[in-house]
Amino acid sequence: MTFEVEVNGRLRRVTVERSAPGRFRVTLDGTVHEVDAARTGDHALSLILQGEGGRSRDVQIAPSGPPGEILVGIDGRVAAVSIDARRSRRGAPDAAAALDGEQKIVAPMPGRIVRILAAAGDAVAARQPLVVVEAMKMENELRAPRAGRVKLVAVTPGMSVESGRLLVVIE
Amino acid sequence: MKILVANRGEIAVRIVRACRELGIPAVAVYSDCDRGARHVRDADQAVHIGPSEAARSYLCIDSILDAARRSGADAVHPGYGFLAENAQFAAACRDAGLTFIGPASETIAMMGSKTAARAAAARAGVPAVPGTLDPVGPAVAPAEVACIAREIGYPLMVKAVAGGGGRGMRPVDDEASLKDAVRAARSEAGSAFGDSAVYFERRLRRPRHIEIQLLGDNHGTVVPFVERECSIQRRHQKVVEESPSLAVSPELRGRLAAAAAAVARSVRYSGAGTIEFLLDESGAFFFLEMNTRLQVEHPVTEMVTGIDLVQWQIRIARNERLDIDAAAALVPAGHALECRIYAEDPDHGFLPSPGLIRGLRPASGPGIRDDGGVAAGYVVPMFYDSLIAKLVAWAPSRGAAIQRMSRALHEYHVLGIRTTIPFFLWLMAQPEYIAGQYDTTYLDRLLAERVAAPGATSFNQLPDGDDDLVAVAAAIDAYLQAGRRVDEGATGAARWTGVARREALRG
Repeated sequence: MTFEVEVNGRLRRVTVERSAPGRFRVTLDGTVHEVDAARTGDHALSLILQGEGGRSRDVQIAPSGPPGEILVGIDGRVAAVSIDARRSRRGAPDAAAALDGEQKIVAPMPGRIVRILAAAGDAVAARQPLVVVEAMKMENELRAPRAGRVKLVAVTPGMSVESGRLLVVIE
Repeated sequence: MKILVANRGEIAVRIVRACRELGIPAVAVYSDCDRGARHVRDADQAVHIGPSEAARSYLCIDSILDAARRSGADAVHPGYGFLAENAQFAAACRDAGLTFIGPASETIAMMGSKTAARAAAARAGVPAVPGTLDPVGPAVAPAEVACIAREIGYPLMVKAVAGGGGRGMRPVDDEASLKDAVRAARSEAGSAFGDSAVYFERRLRRPRHIEIQLLGDNHGTVVPFVERECSIQRRHQKVVEESPSLAVSPELRGRLAAAAAAVARSVRYSGAGTIEFLLDESGAFFFLEMNTRLQVEHPVTEMVTGIDLVQWQIRIARNERLDIDAAAALVPAGHALECRIYAEDPDHGFLPSPGLIRGLRPASGPGIRDDGGVAAGYVVPMFYDSLIAKLVAWAPSRGAAIQRMSRALHEYHVLGIRTTIPFFLWLMAQPEYIAGQYDTTYLDRLLAERVAAPGATSFNQLPDGDDDLVAVAAAIDAYLQAGRRVDEGATGAARWTGVARREALRG
């Protein structure tokens, strides 16, 4: 089975074959890795790398929202990984929207709108605060990613928003 | 005695543990979103107190008193935050015939007003950071606000009179930014404490935050403990604490402890409390404020003194006499560090990161203490503070404690939400931190430099070669998932083959 795996923005082709129970031959960009893999929980894998003198690594893997998007934890750090992202994104609206000059500011986490600091039609500078969202007792200023004009403000103070909710459009 | 724990999260779990050790039943309270929370599962009894919004549950005095009545509790431990420094709550408990585990309502009221506390410290002969003696209320005209600020002098700090926990605070460098800072501080103070009054304090150059934990009993005894240093702060929020401080000599420790005890005695303090000081570059210290409750960072003191502060809070409330060796309380055994693990994403400006915890493996082993408040399967709500656990490392020396902390951070797995663990791994490797050369401005300065640096990398940057390993692991996981889906779609004999194959995989 071959997968397209994107780790921290770098796309890799990875082929996995089972060579024996619990044993895998993994080909990554032409290099073959012999790996002993054991599931150690719903979201955990223990790997022993045969080619590296039996180096032992503990990895946690969990879905993070959209299908194919996962988080991989290793040694206290977390990497964002996409699996076969191109395939699953096919037919979905792509990044072209960003090219026509519109920039959407969405809620990065669930929260409550505290203040709106810009109105439709306003010219804004890059990094200018647009909306204040409160979550976990903290007020977080969301800023304009670049200079432009506010096309739309889609929320009002007091509103509760989910993660990913459209807040402001800049053109 | 039966204690109702009027709190949630890690501190509620901590208090339940102390109750268990003393053989006292503990009653948890919970809001809608906390039904499955760990403090509920760990307690002997649990009572629902309302919707998820804190104002209608953990901050609702009537609901909590009602829960105490229904559960048969005769004492209330407020923890920290929420109602812990609410004088009305302490009075309401007393009026309802409940023992409030903390100081008298009048003491909370006096020390809770930061301006009144500064005056109390001055009366006890302890100098406070120069600033306004009276609150600057919302009725004061902007021109007068600017005039008051000019008298204090820039740079200054705008702080909430009812403040605490770093909220309702804004630094101001000049008059141009005063208006916005006052507005922001008032807004945050209003929503966090229900009181939007602020006051001004002069900002010291590169101060260190040093605080003295103390216990006072109902018989006039006050015992101060070895200091904690909490200078590692991000936007005035403590993120790492330690005890003892590298900046405090035994001689200075004696003077800090004497000053703290003088303030506590002057208000006949009963219970656990903390006096916070700022230490300037010349070695002079100033009273900052008093917290009339247990502090988040109390474990570092427990680790270097062997004293259980939460058990003592309960024993003091039972009118017991403090029988702690006061001289020994000022001699630290080894060194302890605490990292506050927040549900925040350090790679995106520490934005809150609530959500489902899919997997959790806290660190353990020699010298490690995990004061956690969550469990796998729990959804960290957006309604409350983002602290999910406190990781504490103890070792005979500071250097060994830092190494132990790094080891434990590597071991600590939280899966599903972003946390500050990768940030702490980075911080524990910073030369200035290792050398102890820091002050309260250090971390914000370091983070700003990091963002501005060309080619700034993520806190989650993987070491060389680990990108490959992550790709390999993700592909194997996807391969196994695909196999599982096929198995689940199959029937009869085919399904049994699938089970057999999974069994084989485990081996």
